[in-house]
Amino acid sequence: MTARRTPFAAAVTGLGMVTAAGVGTKATWHAVTQNSAPTGVRHQEELADLPCDFMYTAADLDATALLGVATQRLMDRFSQLAVIAAREAVADAGLGPDVWERDRVAVVIGSAHGGLPFYDQQHVAMSGRGARRVSPKLAPLTVINSAASSVSMDLGAQGPSLGVATACSSGTVALGTAHQLLRAGVCDVAIAGGAESVLSRLLIASACQMKAVSTRRENPAAACRPFDAERDGFVVGEGAGLLVMERPEHAAARGATVHARIRGYGSSSDAYAAVAPDPDGNGIERALRTALDDADVAPSEVGHVNAHGTSTVVNDLIEATMLRRVLGEHPLVTSTKAMTGHTLGAAGGIETALTVLALEQQLVPPTANLDVPDPQIPIGIVRQEARPATFDYAVKTSLGFGGHNAALVLSRA
Amino acid sequence: MNAAEVVNTLLVQRFGVAAVDVTDETPLRSLKMDSLALEELRVLIEEQLDIDLEEVSLTSRDTVGRLVAAVDGKVAA
Repeated sequence: MTARRTPFAAAVTGLGMVTAAGVGTKATWHAVTQNSAPTGVRHQEELADLPCDFMYTAADLDATALLGVATQRLMDRFSQLAVIAAREAVADAGLGPDVWERDRVAVVIGSAHGGLPFYDQQHVAMSGRGARRVSPKLAPLTVINSAASSVSMDLGAQGPSLGVATACSSGTVALGTAHQLLRAGVCDVAIAGGAESVLSRLLIASACQMKAVSTRRENPAAACRPFDAERDGFVVGEGAGLLVMERPEHAAARGATVHARIRGYGSSSDAYAAVAPDPDGNGIERALRTALDDADVAPSEVGHVNAHGTSTVVNDLIEATMLRRVLGEHPLVTSTKAMTGHTLGAAGGIETALTVLALEQQLVPPTANLDVPDPQIPIGIVRQEARPATFDYAVKTSLGFGGHNAALVLSRA
Repeated sequence: MNAAEVVNTLLVQRFGVAAVDVTDETPLRSLKMDSLALEELRVLIEEQLDIDLEEVSLTSRDTVGRLVAAVDGKVAA
């Protein structure tokens, strides 16, 4: 039984992104819509000799220059990316410590692995040099909530703040959670999304063993190819994507420019397997139907989907089949992961930000590297070049290891 | 590198302290060196100079000069 309520259309007034496609929202959007192949994926020294020794990174980012040593030393890289993206999003919204009522500002940031690289480094220190060489900062830097607390401290946001951990749907669940906090009236503004950076030999070695990641070592730029007949797994990326969301009357009262609105949210659990999604896609279908109901939007009204589209054989088939079943053939579906990599817990934040821009600019980014569409995929996927279109509603879907599904319905401002 | 140089270099490079702010009389707290930072600094000094500072008590009320003297005592010992 679903409790029907009047839809709550949270205003998205700010965007911030740091991705392998570009540092900043403008650079990322430009690359995702205009470039035909990714430039941010490369072999990594830390991953040498692994079957998957490459990753998407924001190599152009100079975090030390942006943050300063004193601030940077209290964060592992995922938190640094979050703070840099949050500063951009808040500036874009025309908000900040001097403007807002600080105890009415929430921070909700998803991450799958948090400060795993620092954890990994400190384990090496302990194994090699003993317990007395271990840093005292392990707990504060590695906890999943460290991105949220770092952003809260950096911006002086004193409302509720929390980390969200639902593996690869963390960013989307964070945005949905922020939507619910705003709707409940416990804050007026929420800085929400996801952040991830796992250039960790330990984690990638394990992902290789799982056979979930692409092993196309001879050509990393072609390795992530969502919905393509030759896809062979995902490619990990680092990044952060954060949105400033506001209660609609709060945005209206200050005359804020609204990029788009988050109008509905649904989440569900497969209760099926540790890694594999429900083979029939029933879990993600329930999340999507719940989000559509929450938004009071009909499937026929959805013009665009930014799909999870990881480039694994199984995800892309299950997800596309579900999208066809629930929405039909008409929406312009894309996956932007070939440009950003699979940023795990950050993916929902980055991809929702891209969905906001797609609605605002009425332009759907193409799925890079989709050369030969898999004939088993039952829907058309936007490819080769960005597609201008007219649409009022868009959907973002995310699936996470553990069966954590989430969907958002967005509308034009 | 002597103890003073090691401490000053670490404060600047690892904690982002401005070199001009570091004098013998500067209290560590005025350099924003809180208890967590001091424990981190302890590990870094021990590693760099291969000494044991376990028994040295460090608080942010101490001055840079007192910290250097404590490190010097261990180096000499």
